[in-house]
Amino acid sequence: MSRRHRPPHTDRAGRQSDIIPGPWAGGTAVSTPSGEGGSGAVATRDDEASGQGGAGWCVSWANAWRSFWFTPADPLPLAVVRIIAGTMLAWSCCVWLMDVDAFFGPSGWLRDGDVWRMNDQPWQWSWFFAARSPTAIRVLTLITLVAGVCLAVGLATPVAAAVSLVGFISAANRTPLTVFGFDDALGMLLIPLAVGPSGAVLSLDRRLGLLPAAATPSVAANIALRLIQVHLCIVYFFSGIAKLLGVSWWEGTALWGAAANSRYRTLDITWLARHPLLVNALTLGTLFWEVSYPALVWPRLTRRLAIAMAILVHAGIGAAMGMKEFAITMIAANLAFVPADNWRALWTRLRSRG
Amino acid sequence: MPRLLPPAAWSPAARVAASLAILLYLATVIVPPLAGPAPSSDLAMRLVQPLRPLVGGLYLGHGYRFFAPDPGPGHAIRWTMRLPDGSSRSGILPDPDVDRPRLLYHRRFMIAEKIAGLVPPPDAPEEVRREGKPQWQPLVMGVAGQLLRRHGGVEVDLMMIEFDLPTPEDFLAGKSAPDGETPLGTFALSAPPASNRP
Repeated sequence: MSRRHRPPHTDRAGRQSDIIPGPWAGGTAVSTPSGEGGSGAVATRDDEASGQGGAGWCVSWANAWRSFWFTPADPLPLAVVRIIAGTMLAWSCCVWLMDVDAFFGPSGWLRDGDVWRMNDQPWQWSWFFAARSPTAIRVLTLITLVAGVCLAVGLATPVAAAVSLVGFISAANRTPLTVFGFDDALGMLLIPLAVGPSGAVLSLDRRLGLLPAAATPSVAANIALRLIQVHLCIVYFFSGIAKLLGVSWWEGTALWGAAANSRYRTLDITWLARHPLLVNALTLGTLFWEVSYPALVWPRLTRRLAIAMAILVHAGIGAAMGMKEFAITMIAANLAFVPADNWRALWTRLRSRG
Repeated sequence: MPRLLPPAAWSPAARVAASLAILLYLATVIVPPLAGPAPSSDLAMRLVQPLRPLVGGLYLGHGYRFFAPDPGPGHAIRWTMRLPDGSSRSGILPDPDVDRPRLLYHRRFMIAEKIAGLVPPPDAPEEVRREGKPQWQPLVMGVAGQLLRRHGGVEVDLMMIEFDLPTPEDFLAGKSAPDGETPLGTFALSAPPASNRP
């Protein structure tokens, strides 16, 4: 078999490979989950570049960039993320509406004249800055709620995604005193959802015949998924290296600090005090997972491990510390790494059982 | 599951334009956590300046320091209010028994946590406490005003509580230190209006 016609994921000896080196290793392909064809394989053919010095190296990088970002991808994983993100936004709006004047009103927890103290004005805009009446505040929050619901069900999805993003940013920028990691994570999802064709499948738009009969793999879907994937790696990277400054993470006791914090606790795991080595193992395991995630989530061999750990860690945070929304949103972001074929296989299994 | 059609490729010009947009977006995601919270480099602080419109406009100015560098103690604001009839009422922000669902609790919890991050402890040097006050006092005034309007009070006294975070040994021995208390002040609705931006 000639090198040029060797299929992706096949090494020079013709073996199928799970981890295929990128251009920096002079290899032939990068195994990345883009949702295209299930494997998400992206071929980076730098054969023609090998042995040509710096120019060839640059060509390899250009090819890798093009393959990574511009290979058409199945929009199915993006649709899964869309359903979860829309639901989370709608739920967040319901909670905002429970105390809407205090969150967004001129005399709320954070008075409108004090917003600049907590964020970067005038760049952190908000449509709530223009809302001077309780009615206007409610209407704007309701618009965001409706947009979130439409995003979740995939109705008028492009408009819903854009309005969801505008409404969400407006809310987060108006009330910086009450935002937390959940909002960071939700924003991370909503921007790519507004960019990509997130309503191409699993949507009312498709059910109602508002879209072409068949979904199309698209570059925009790939870009949106890649933005989520790369952003998630950046989040874990900074979160991980920031923990390296903490003594308790090195001592292996940080998890106890979370367990013993009565203000977060929704599940009593203070029994961990009797098992210091278990606390050490859980703390160090979390630290190693988070620091290594940006590297381990890309090779197919370790991807499942990285994502499984992510689900375990976030589910644990959601259950023990009550941050269910944060947990669900971060898990949704991780699902952007699950190739479309895996979703289809799961769907087929569920249907065959049903 | 819907059938997939063959993909359509993008033109080179579209790819170049999209690549530039992607690079800009990635810079907008990567630079803010480099620039803050402290410690951060002068280089990162300079790099973030031209990106501020995008960082702020897209709500991407995050540090991603979840539970870092160390998980710390929890905080709450304890309030005692004088009502128009002379009686008093007290409560705590957030209140896990009242603030439901949990997302509402967490949003109110952030009020206490973020203000706590600005308030120096009572044993801090006088100069540090004096310099820190203009940072947190306007925020506390907003909280006080909201509590007074909510409960129809005349005057409210606020106290920042830092809950004890016992070591495993202390926890097993049943030892607990008293919760830390930092007075935030007494406020009435006639308090000065929200300060204006300088």
